[in-house]
Amino acid sequence: MITRQLTFSALIFLFMYTLQESLINQVRLPGGGFSIFIIFALVWSALSTPEVGAVAGFGAGFLVDLSPSSSGPVGQWTLIMILTCFGIAFLGFGDDKSRGNPITIVFLVVAGVFLSEIAFLISGALLGVNLGSLSQIAIILIGMSMWTLLITPFTLPIFSRFHAFTFDTGSRI
Amino acid sequence: MRYGGGNRSRLLLIILIVSSLFLITLDLRGVQVLDGLRSGSQTVLSPFQKAGNTVASPFKNFFSDITHLGRTRNQLEQLRAENFNLRTKLINRKNADAQLKQFKSMLDLAGTADYKILSAKVISQGSTQSFSQTLTIDAGSNSGIKRNMTVICDSGLAGVVKEVYPNSALILLASDPSFRIGVRIAGTQQIGILSGQGSRKAVLQLIDNQTTLQVGDVLLARGSQQNRPFVPGVPVGSVVSVDNSAGAIAQSASVKFYTNFSALGVVAVVVGAPKTDPRDALVPVKPRPRPVPTITILVTPSPSPTATK
Repeated sequence: MITRQLTFSALIFLFMYTLQESLINQVRLPGGGFSIFIIFALVWSALSTPEVGAVAGFGAGFLVDLSPSSSGPVGQWTLIMILTCFGIAFLGFGDDKSRGNPITIVFLVVAGVFLSEIAFLISGALLGVNLGSLSQIAIILIGMSMWTLLITPFTLPIFSRFHAFTFDTGSRI
Repeated sequence: MRYGGGNRSRLLLIILIVSSLFLITLDLRGVQVLDGLRSGSQTVLSPFQKAGNTVASPFKNFFSDITHLGRTRNQLEQLRAENFNLRTKLINRKNADAQLKQFKSMLDLAGTADYKILSAKVISQGSTQSFSQTLTIDAGSNSGIKRNMTVICDSGLAGVVKEVYPNSALILLASDPSFRIGVRIAGTQQIGILSGQGSRKAVLQLIDNQTTLQVGDVLLARGSQQNRPFVPGVPVGSVVSVDNSAGAIAQSASVKFYTNFSALGVVAVVVGAPKTDPRDALVPVKPRPRPVPTITILVTPSPSPTATK
């Protein structure tokens, strides 16, 4: 059972990663655009247990670190995504009212994207990564959050079906 | 019931966090395995990026086109009259024409300075989640590209080769916040350091405080030792405003890059530097003001009217 879940999860994560790197990154959107892969990882965590969330965060963060366009050291996104995904899964777990509510999940994902970018900025500053002017950072932060708010409601039903299929939970949003 | 955590959960979290810190330490210490992993992932992704570029090409500049809608209204009205197939063909053709125009200008630039170049198509724009400005091209070490080679486009400097893979290469754009280049001002030959700011604007810091900068001054790449990472003479940008604050140690200015980084379709990697420094040969020609025709009206006075009774 666990082998099936792990295999399906890994394949879906790799598919989303390839989609992000090969297609979404092609389109220059105003305000920095969005990362479908990070949205997917956060939705996945919001629907999972904290343990699964942390492991999903580790896998997702490691893949983001492997992206050639990633500017920080390998491990930086891994650390951020572990904490963000665990946090989101922890907040939602055990409370079916919030877990079953799409609005709560959208809010959690948007907050997760915003906080993970802030965490990247802070850890990047500590690790000596050049991040650009304050205005540009503000544009990207606000832009990415807005795009996430716009995209997540459309992708949530699809991602929740993937999750339900993998974990055989039968519950869908 | 709220999740209360547990020893197993805490242990897993700690193991994962320690693993990520371990990865950061390994990367900061320059362990080759992790570089190999990034290189491997790019090699795997490269064919997907090429396919994605083909799929996304009709609409990749959709949003930038919208901002120029007013200028292309007539063209859009003409297009509306045509059927769907013709429109698709036109969009594809337009894309190819724009790339051809960029390519021609790039060849002119390289030919004037005697640069030996290798042209390449942009197959992926870097993601902005890491606040970096990069793009990937469809040529790599198999085509003779090496790290730290200058990358130019039709209007001037585009960036520098950051990483090379067998069939692709990662370009660090000049707009990236970590980008630094030694420049000189065309004409006065004063030197300074230009830093990317994450947008089309950059900051110039002059070495000599006695120099006077002027709006419109043209900046050219100063060139590096062995011509890597930068070959001399590449047009970089022009000064748009000068910071004249009295307490400043060195004079600084805001510079606008000639390159529109969001519209790069084809670029050229300088694989061979010129034998002699092109100096100011590549300074862009200022647009000549169109002469306004002067209309002269000659009025010949009629003979003074005679008083009649």
